[in-house]
Amino acid sequence: MKIEVVDCKGVKVLALSGDIDMYSSPDLRKELMHFVHKKVSPLLVDFRGVSYIDSSGIATFVEGLKSMMGYGGKLKFVGIPEKIMEILCFAKLDRVFEIYGSIDDACRN
Amino acid sequence: MEKAIEVTDLVTQYGDRVILNGISFSIPKGKTTVILGGSGCGKSTLLNHLIGLLKPTSGEILINGHDITAMTEDEFNEFRKKMGVLFQGSALLNSMTIADNVALPLREHTKLEEPTIQIICRMKLDLVSLSKFEHFYPSQLSGGMKKRAGIARAMALDPELLFFDEPSAGLDPVTAAGLDELIIKLRDVFKITIVVVTHELPSVFMIADYVIMLDLGEVIFAGPIDELKASAHPKVRRFLERQAEQETYSPEDYFRFIAGN
Repeated sequence: MKIEVVDCKGVKVLALSGDIDMYSSPDLRKELMHFVHKKVSPLLVDFRGVSYIDSSGIATFVEGLKSMMGYGGKLKFVGIPEKIMEILCFAKLDRVFEIYGSIDDACRN
Repeated sequence: MEKAIEVTDLVTQYGDRVILNGISFSIPKGKTTVILGGSGCGKSTLLNHLIGLLKPTSGEILINGHDITAMTEDEFNEFRKKMGVLFQGSALLNSMTIADNVALPLREHTKLEEPTIQIICRMKLDLVSLSKFEHFYPSQLSGGMKKRAGIARAMALDPELLFFDEPSAGLDPVTAAGLDELIIKLRDVFKITIVVVTHELPSVFMIADYVIMLDLGEVIFAGPIDELKASAHPKVRRFLERQAEQETYSPEDYFRFIAGN
């Protein structure tokens, strides 16, 4: 998995690519928690390059969102591929995370 | 058919006794395959080979293209992280809570932080409808709940292959049907390749996409469930219609056997 931090009109975007699995989730958690500790909000996660996410990846985002809610922060997902969307829906998390089609949509809301 | 498992000329002997007699078959990816057969036909031995608990006398077992019979112990220990197993007795550790049982493979085999592990455990327990039982010990659960907890643990590392050894054994029909529905859900949602060893016919008809039937260490049928139902093979028919085996002794042979001649 590759993590790129992009600044999009003053909004922080984590652009992810590759597989988010048991091996790469600890790196994702480190990066996510870095922004959480700085109380960054909103934080966007761009999934367009993600080919696979397992339970550890989903659990990492659940932990991130829970921590952000403590300071009223917003965690927004962008460009989720269909297969990953199916897993989020099954886990009933599609109604918990804010999900947008594009970075512009996510910034506007 | 994309293959998850390919077994070629597998032979297993215990001393002079041949348990699996050079069997070959394939298991399709993303489907539920049932290994079927009467008691003593070699199906549990076969399962133990597929999960790497036994080494065959000869033959090859390819899982996702890798020959597990040729792997070193270290190679196989890494490889088996993508395989989950529900053992017949669930094999939960009685001294640990259900949540700790599920967490065990995550703590042993990953570098995930504890908060992540806790969330994964809760997700897996919710998957098997045991959300409210995370702090319970195995002795406080019913047989069906223990099986579901065993599935949650088998699912902990998000396996690509999931093996079940007699999942319905000892369960009432309603609980067994609930477990069958869970197996179907796991296949449909996670696209996992599932291999189930059983001789429970209602389960077979409910969950199987594909069936391998063994008899006396030989494969007597391998194919989709609909072909099994239509099969004219006498041993398949006898099994499906629950007909007893014919007496193998003549009265004279029986007399000679008990008289000790």
